[in-house]
Amino acid sequence: MESASSMIAIERLSKTFETSRGTSHLALSEISLDVAQGEFVSVLGPSGCGKSTLLYIVGGFVSPSAGALRVADKPVAGPGPDRGPVFQEFALFPWKTVLGNVMYGLLEQGRSKADALARANALIELVHLKGYENFYPKELSGGMKQRVAIARTLAYGPSILLMDEPFGALDAHTRTGMQMELLDIWERDRKTVLFVTHSVEEAVFLSDRVVVLTRSPGRIKTIVSIDLPRPRRRAELLVDRRYQQYVVDIERLMDDPRVIPPPQGEGDAPTGRREAPPDDKLRAPGGAPS
Amino acid sequence: MRSISQIPGLPPLLACAGLLAVWEIAARIIGISGLPPAHEALRELPGILTDKQSLADILASMRRMVTGFALALIVAVPIGLMMGRARLVAAFFNPLLMIIYPVPKAALMPLIMLWLGVGDASKTLVIFLGVSLPVIYHAYQGARAVEEKMLWSAAAMGLGPAARLLRIVFPAALPEIMVGIRTGLVLALITMVTSEMIARKQGVGDLLFNALAMAQYQTVYATIIIIGMLGFVIDAAFEKLRFRVVAWAEPTHDIAVGST
Repeated sequence: MESASSMIAIERLSKTFETSRGTSHLALSEISLDVAQGEFVSVLGPSGCGKSTLLYIVGGFVSPSAGALRVADKPVAGPGPDRGPVFQEFALFPWKTVLGNVMYGLLEQGRSKADALARANALIELVHLKGYENFYPKELSGGMKQRVAIARTLAYGPSILLMDEPFGALDAHTRTGMQMELLDIWERDRKTVLFVTHSVEEAVFLSDRVVVLTRSPGRIKTIVSIDLPRPRRRAELLVDRRYQQYVVDIERLMDDPRVIPPPQGEGDAPTGRREAPPDDKLRAPGGAPS
Repeated sequence: MRSISQIPGLPPLLACAGLLAVWEIAARIIGISGLPPAHEALRELPGILTDKQSLADILASMRRMVTGFALALIVAVPIGLMMGRARLVAAFFNPLLMIIYPVPKAALMPLIMLWLGVGDASKTLVIFLGVSLPVIYHAYQGARAVEEKMLWSAAAMGLGPAARLLRIVFPAALPEIMVGIRTGLVLALITMVTSEMIARKQGVGDLLFNALAMAQYQTVYATIIIIGMLGFVIDAAFEKLRFRVVAWAEPTHDIAVGST
């Protein structure tokens, strides 16, 4: 998994920001992570731990301070249509209709107008927005806006989806609905997904693996493999003891200020791969992010 | 039952009628030649609006205003957008604007006349300066407020920096730019008149001051009414256009310049 089929290869990546006071702030420290093709990986951590920054670096929107990053075996030099972002803020083009938004990337990639129109319409149907083609973003609810954003990104066919707390701005009910829709879409073509969230349940429900980061500066505390059958149904998982155990274990991990050695699994408790840098064993929790 | 304020167009009409009534009564009470009653000024309007020379003056003024205004948009919008997206450009232009902004543009008129004479060039340049500053400022604010994630989304689709400025930053900032343009339109009208008051050759401002010099106070007030109506019509027409062009935008703060 590490080399041949690795879609995203992150090696000892660090990011330091210069603050306005002239000091520097270490946001990410020595992150090493491989994501296989078709894998759904969530990055989980307390707010301010740099998990979004990690995603922005993979997207090419932010450059790393140190370390190496390869996507599909090529070094990342900037943003590209092979990595499609979906942001918590939706970031739709407000002067374009739903249809105009979904077609934008297609036309940008040189598709013919008829071709782009057909594909955009199919995607709008996929995200259940048929009938809203000519609506402007301001006329849509948050959940609908995020559906448009997902369709807009899927349209130009990225091989990797980079999702930055995409459902974080939605109410709980819309949120769980969108999680199911996302899994349905993902089951169709199994794109590689890097998904940033601070919800443990969301991460466990969606992912093949969950990467848990420490408080600022973000380091990998542990990586948990989620060994639950797919396709997943929320109602079934909620009563599944293994699912509950994953959620409880990861919640405990996040509460614990230390980087914990793997708990001794018993029965059907999760036995995920856990990685912890040795120098991090007894780190006190970092201060709140400034 | 609908109240009076809900009948469209009625409140502004009532306001105008009220102003004229106060004017008429005040003029009769005070009774000086410098304040003729409203009806005498209104009686002058048809005469001015049918007089060939006066119409030529008004049209000449409008031509300079449109030229200065259009040139200002062409220059100010790109500068404002680039200031909003490039720290270096902002650092270069900001101090310049800070110095120029509080200077009344009409106060520069005598200097500009030394360089360019009393003709169209000076007046157009003053109008250009008057319009540029609010448009630059609002384009700058609009461009600065463009969501980073929107630009990232465009970058992932393959838009380069120039395409992002033109096709993402510009439309995203357009609602704010339109606010600046509306302020600019009113300032264009003001600088148009004041420039003609200083460089008196022809135009609405010249018309006004000629009448003043000859103590034709009814004509002075009638000309002021014409300028006011001109401003009202231009602003109302622009507001119609603005609502069409940026109908997609979330409603933001409104502006206290002019009225509709």
